[in-house]
Amino acid sequence: MRRKATTRRALDRLPAAAMAVGALVFLGARALPPVPDMPSTPAVDLASARFAGTAGAPGQADDEGYPIDSQVIIVRCQRCHERDDEGRMTRISYERKTPEGWQTSVRRMVALNDVSLGPDEAREVVRYLSNRQGLAPEELEPGRFEVERRLIEHVYEADRDVENTCIQCHSMGRVITQRRTREEWELLMATHRGLYPLVDFQAFQGGGDGPQPVDEAIDHLSEAFPLETPEWSAWSASMRTPRLAGTWALAGFEPGKGQVFGTVEITAGDAPDEFRTAITYAYAESGEQESRSGQSIVYTGYQWRGRSNPGGQDELREVMTVDRDWQEMTGRWFRGAYDEFGPDVKLTRVSGGPVVSGVHPRAIRVASSAELRVHGANLPANPDPADFDFGRGVRVESATGGDGDRITIRLSVDDDAPVGERDLFLAGASLRGAIQVHDGVDRLEVTPRAGMARIGGGAFPKGYQPYDAIGWDDGPDGEPNTEDDLRLGRVPVTWSMEEYAATFDDDDIQYVGALGSDGVFTPAIDGPNTDRTGSRNNVGDVWIVATYAGSDADAGASRSLRARAHLIVTVPLYLKFDPWQGVPTGRLVP
Amino acid sequence: MKQLKPINQKAGRIEAQVAREEMDVVGLESRPEGPHIPLGCSLVFAPGWEVDSSGGTAGLCQPVERDLFDCHLACFWPAHVPDQLNHSPDWTSQCASAQKDWRKLDLVFP
Repeated sequence: MRRKATTRRALDRLPAAAMAVGALVFLGARALPPVPDMPSTPAVDLASARFAGTAGAPGQADDEGYPIDSQVIIVRCQRCHERDDEGRMTRISYERKTPEGWQTSVRRMVALNDVSLGPDEAREVVRYLSNRQGLAPEELEPGRFEVERRLIEHVYEADRDVENTCIQCHSMGRVITQRRTREEWELLMATHRGLYPLVDFQAFQGGGDGPQPVDEAIDHLSEAFPLETPEWSAWSASMRTPRLAGTWALAGFEPGKGQVFGTVEITAGDAPDEFRTAITYAYAESGEQESRSGQSIVYTGYQWRGRSNPGGQDELREVMTVDRDWQEMTGRWFRGAYDEFGPDVKLTRVSGGPVVSGVHPRAIRVASSAELRVHGANLPANPDPADFDFGRGVRVESATGGDGDRITIRLSVDDDAPVGERDLFLAGASLRGAIQVHDGVDRLEVTPRAGMARIGGGAFPKGYQPYDAIGWDDGPDGEPNTEDDLRLGRVPVTWSMEEYAATFDDDDIQYVGALGSDGVFTPAIDGPNTDRTGSRNNVGDVWIVATYAGSDADAGASRSLRARAHLIVTVPLYLKFDPWQGVPTGRLVP
Repeated sequence: MKQLKPINQKAGRIEAQVAREEMDVVGLESRPEGPHIPLGCSLVFAPGWEVDSSGGTAGLCQPVERDLFDCHLACFWPAHVPDQLNHSPDWTSQCASAQKDWRKLDLVFP
């Protein structure tokens, strides 16, 4: 009962306390409210001190672990996390994580272990630990999908059995973005068992006398993701706060909407690792303009975390990786209850000379002429058509400049121009694979091939799924699915849905929701549906079908191209481990 | 099949299903279709949270509200449903029956 009472008290305080730590990773931007009645020092709670102290018992290898000299962490965490003579604190000193990983830990400490932290203190804890005990860029690379919140089909090739153990509850991305000592991996498993006792029956124990799945996981993870690595030694020695202020050319691709081009002006923020942004971009297909402003923090010398238009309905969270030369940033900006909307982005530093970000449209058919727009920064105002070099068989007949961000050109492709990807050279700048010279759209692909939407709108938010229809040229060999195939980008199609027959008389298609003419699937409402057998929810499986009858189909051919992808419309999540959420509980949709 | 005639309802359904599949031409697709399972929180339970073991939704516990209290009380889907043990002891306090009162449940960010 003691434990239960403590938990309840913690939960009563959670709204204020969690708001304090919420939104830190993506801080930038969010003005965090003050926490009322914040005690200057934590009340001593012997019961929970004993509880946590047991989990963090000393016993780590003597030569490992990072000393901690942050006064905030020492003051706020020491009552449970004992500090040794070398300044190492139990548990904390023996792991490395992403900012999201550290923030999740801080949230859990507030929610379950009675930690009191003010917003500034919590921010300081996350920043200190992410910088001192973060991941090197090479270490984060395989797990970027996790922090960039991408819905992908991930396979952990290194050990399928361990993957099977972990993904019974959560993404493997959460695992591969951490580094720990062996003892710490063992303690993590103990934490799982303590918080979620049923894991022993679900994933951790497989029966029999031999090593259990949990033991195999500890063995593998200690080996594959140890605390100390050459990558981290090298990165932490060279790590510094990047100087990112300046103008950056933006090129991106947003599923459902196509290519985006624009500029990002980055200025210094309140601290050396904080920045402010002024962002303008346009969708190349629709011409729709976006203008945003935001703030960010860069963790571990390269992990950009920001928000643009913070607090607004159209707020985008920004997760990017700054490259080692500070010349490029790549990542994803996203929004939506399940992070489903937003562009993949690449920022290129503009430092005097011209930068070419991209060309739209990208695909030009042989023996044709078309108007294209070259996007970038510092582009010539009065361009000479002769300055454009797209390679053999591609001629620029006219070029009209503008404000430096865009040049409109008329391009003509000869009958005998070789089919393939072409680089562009222009006024000292270049862009690899700027256009694709092709000889017709041979086939279609609907992406993502495996999509997922979640019913919502009643009590829980909807999870949408945008689709693209990508045209492909089979390439010079004329064979589909070979190395020389050309990806031509989005093509205009008509969208429809078909039943994915998983059972006899399958009728999911009548209930799951609707596919818009723009290729965005909107799921139906959540809750039991009494019109369905057994009051099933509006879940189901359908095919998303794209039909293309464009002018690029073979001349005189009457056939249209068709492709489809499997869409799962499934149940909501009632719990979300979103480290940046400022509100721990509460209804999103009335 | 011409010599065979379905004599009961299930056989009739099978025949209709076979006929439907023969109509289904997907030769123009880029690659042959296999089961695709997008990355959700959990993938392997049969039935699972987002998908069943075949990668579809036909085998899920339905409606989800029928199962929700058990998930909550037994801490069975700790990454999908708030657990009663630690994070959300009172999650269902406003909700006598999830099937009727599901709108009173809250989305929880632990």
